Amino acid sequence: MGHRDLIDVCGLNSHYSGRQVLFDIRFGIPDTNITVIMGVSGCGKTTLLRHLIGLKRTRPEQIMVDGQDLGKFNEEEMRNYRRRLGVLFQSGALFNSMTVSQNIAVPLKVHTRLSDETIRIMALIKLNLLGLAEFGAFMPSQLSGGMRKRAGLARALAMDPEILFVDEPSSGLDPITAAGLDRLILELRDTLGMTIIVVTHELESAFRIADRLIVMDRGCILAAGSPDEIRASQNERVLQFLERKADTAEINTAGYLSRIMGNEITRSGR
Amino acid sequence: MTRLVQSLGAATLDQLAHLGRMGLFLVYMIRGIVKPPGKFWSVIKQIHFIGTKSFFVIGFTAAFTGMVLGLQGYYTLSKFGSEGLLGSGVALSLIRELGPVLSALMVTGRAGSAICAEIGIMRIDEQIDALECMAIDPYSYLITPKLLAGLVCLPLLTAYCDVVGIFGGYLVGVDLLGVSPGAYLSGVENSVVWKDVYMGMVKSLGFAVLMIWICTYKGFYAGVDDGNFGPEQVGRATTNAVVLSSVSILAADYVVTSILL
Repeated sequence: MGHRDLIDVCGLNSHYSGRQVLFDIRFGIPDTNITVIMGVSGCGKTTLLRHLIGLKRTRPEQIMVDGQDLGKFNEEEMRNYRRRLGVLFQSGALFNSMTVSQNIAVPLKVHTRLSDETIRIMALIKLNLLGLAEFGAFMPSQLSGGMRKRAGLARALAMDPEILFVDEPSSGLDPITAAGLDRLILELRDTLGMTIIVVTHELESAFRIADRLIVMDRGCILAAGSPDEIRASQNERVLQFLERKADTAEINTAGYLSRIMGNEITRSGR
Repeated sequence: MTRLVQSLGAATLDQLAHLGRMGLFLVYMIRGIVKPPGKFWSVIKQIHFIGTKSFFVIGFTAAFTGMVLGLQGYYTLSKFGSEGLLGSGVALSLIRELGPVLSALMVTGRAGSAICAEIGIMRIDEQIDALECMAIDPYSYLITPKLLAGLVCLPLLTAYCDVVGIFGGYLVGVDLLGVSPGAYLSGVENSVVWKDVYMGMVKSLGFAVLMIWICTYKGFYAGVDDGNFGPEQVGRATTNAVVLSSVSILAADYVVTSILL
């Protein structure tokens, strides 16, 4: 497609309290494209996202950004990298003690020398973009879940980032609001040329917006490619995910009884 | 036996790691004073929260403490016929010890717990992560203004506590128990020297750093060690913050007194 890889994940491993949660993850994130990372809950999508945005420490030579090693970034380099990012968290992560407008103004006030009036206008433009122009004076607690998510996205876009990370944009939203968010993500790519990374488990949304899909399961990448390539995948687990088939649990009667009745009963049961 | 030594060693290493992290937190908090963003308005806001809103509770505590000191002091001194020293006793007790300690404990209970809960909620709601992702230093933006406000407020609240307490002692000693007003006031004037005031102010500054450090640290790392970010972790962090701050203030009081006396 002629897009260079802006971020290159080359053999990422990750651990929580000694337990490995990501296993040798390898993929590239092309610039000005929408890359969707999807998979079942607990498969390591959010951990991967936290590595990509520098919230979880990465070992050297596991993630390269523009050819530079994210794991070797010093404080200044990490700050410069993060200035290129916008991140929408799953919960929106709005500051509860501020109005929606003040939330959007935070990065502008910290990183620019713009006048208060200019910042107010810029915040209003972002709110307008997300259809929240009338809600600037509202506190986050006065907004619905969907509005909070859109306000979070407005804040993530405040500094016109080069790379946008979006964690579960559609979860908990009604289909109309979710479709609106999807359309907005597509517009951001087409009009501003943003590189967008979306983490989701919503199939419909993923296939609607993705230029490139990455399917994860149990800390590994199962498949990666264009939406058509993923649809054509013959991988059993990918098919199960796409066809929304539940896991067939193996029933261990002895173990089950042991757990609910205690060891003594199990022993007598044998 | 080997297992016991292993678990003891692991617990010791764990505690050392915690202490190291706490030390680094203090360094980042102090470093934030010279780092952007500007903090003027956020410090003013925190002064309002930590200082102005503690005014009533400190005044109330100080008044009754001074009154009790006046009452107890009068009956103790009257056994030796030295009621005239009541002013000195009340003033020295308050300025050297009770003023700084009571102010710090009351501010810990009122503002320290709220600060810890606020930061803890920001942690579990990913708001601190959001700050980091916006390339904003959370120490400089969130924690340092609270430290600066604490350093401004606690000495002032201590001075206010001293004055109100001395007045409370006057009310009981002079108006209720009949000590001469001249003896009470001249006792205060003659016995209190600059070193006493200096000691009280040094203590209040130290207590401010301790209180803000512990309360913000506990909130900042609420749930981080468990890997579980829920309301229970914020509640636990708040309780730990108040208990640890209070105990540290009392222990530090002894250390500072023994150094400065």
